[in-house]
Amino acid sequence: MIGDSIIKLRGVDVYQQKHLVLNNVDLQIDKGEFVFLIGQTGSGKSSLLKIIYGDLHIASGDGLVAGFDLKKLAEKDIPYLRRKLGIVFQDFQLLTDRTIEENLIFVMKATGWTDKKLITERIYDVLDKVGLRSKLKKMPHELSGGEQQRIVIARALLNDPEIILADEPTGNLDPDTSEEIVILLKQISQGGTAVLMASHDYHIIRTFPSRIIKCEGGKVHEDATII
Amino acid sequence: MEEFEGSASAKKTKTIYISTVISIALVLLMTGLLGLILVHAKNLSNYVKENIVLNIIVNDGAKEVDIRALQKQLDANPYVLKTQYVSKELAARNLTKEMGEDFVDFLGYNPLLSSIDIYMKAEYANNDSINAFTKQLSKNPLIKEVIYQKSLIDMVNQNIRGIGLVILAFAFILLIIAIALINNTIRLAIYSQRFLIKSMQLVGATKNFIRGPFMTYGILHGFLAGLIAIILLLGILYLAQQQVPEILLLRNWFEFSLVFAGVIGIGILISGLSTYFAVSKFLRLKIYDLYR
Repeated sequence: MIGDSIIKLRGVDVYQQKHLVLNNVDLQIDKGEFVFLIGQTGSGKSSLLKIIYGDLHIASGDGLVAGFDLKKLAEKDIPYLRRKLGIVFQDFQLLTDRTIEENLIFVMKATGWTDKKLITERIYDVLDKVGLRSKLKKMPHELSGGEQQRIVIARALLNDPEIILADEPTGNLDPDTSEEIVILLKQISQGGTAVLMASHDYHIIRTFPSRIIKCEGGKVHEDATII
Repeated sequence: MEEFEGSASAKKTKTIYISTVISIALVLLMTGLLGLILVHAKNLSNYVKENIVLNIIVNDGAKEVDIRALQKQLDANPYVLKTQYVSKELAARNLTKEMGEDFVDFLGYNPLLSSIDIYMKAEYANNDSINAFTKQLSKNPLIKEVIYQKSLIDMVNQNIRGIGLVILAFAFILLIIAIALINNTIRLAIYSQRFLIKSMQLVGATKNFIRGPFMTYGILHGFLAGLIAIILLLGILYLAQQQVPEILLLRNWFEFSLVFAGVIGIGILISGLSTYFAVSKFLRLKIYDLYR
């Protein structure tokens, strides 16, 4: 195990129920790396992410994510694995019935934060990182799509994760806003948090040259390129 | 908890909660109503049984002091609820009143005998107990004979048993329906929050942390629904007593309060358990299952 590896998968088979989606996956992502995950719909990108955040169990092979051995990962350990990850998904939006501050407090309390002063400081800290401190008391519907996605990223940063898993984070955004989000994620990776971003947006991928992993034909191809 | 309660704008969640409480309250109202019917039926059956009379005819010439002693003895008997001494003079007066003419004058003497009317306790108002009781009495030289309507007692007991069984079966079926309806209502309410549950899981909340507020609300909703059901039940009781004042004879506030406690208990128990199982179900679901 390399000291700086956040994710290390070796010979992992990924099943969605009984259906083999990805075969013999080898993957390593190090601290501070920015990695694009590409592939057609149904190619196994989401399943690979699910393996990483513990929603799917690995049937064979070995996997280590943020210090957790996926093969030995017990049900009760999954919440603690997820606290080491920041998850930014299209379907994992802000809770619409509460303010931005309440959304963030909710996550912090859910993950064991109790000290009010520390909670407030951390909220200011992450909102500063995404440049939206002024939106603290706003409701999600009062923000633009790009701002909402920035808040989702801020939420992912709350527990100082070792890696951010972003599944199509720019899927619903216009090109300019999409670029802003990727710039933000790039900045985060430069701060030492690895980012694994699944995307179909080849324009973005070309604009921000980074390491690319491709899911295709039931295999994961490391260091792929796009034409 | 306060952020789980949500801000003032959590109208949707509140609407779901209100409709859940009302649904549970209506089901509990039906359950409580049946409970009250059961209590009234039991009290009515006791009332009927405790009005079954055994006439103990005392030998002619027995002294009143001996009869009074026998009455005291009978009052102390565990089978007996109460007794009433009817002297031969009183019996004659009663019969004269019923007949409308003075038969003593006509006959020249009073042919009636003194008697003691015995009202049995409800649990002993059956032929087996009465037979055992009359066997004891027959040893007493003061007693000439014991008169009671064996066939009537059999009929009363048979009918009460039959009606009781029907009501119990009905109560059991209604309880099953209540459990199913409350469970379904709560599952639907929790289903509407499945994405919230999944979101909590994705940020790393433990199962107990996620389950906790749902359980608190489930138990609270069960309690509130129980209270609403009790208020409605009291209203129904009041109206029923206004319409049929005889119901007051069957009133027993201790038993009513047991029914009310049962309504709240059932509300909390079913609501709490249903919430636990419903949340656990969604906690077990994988993300792709949420869209099915």
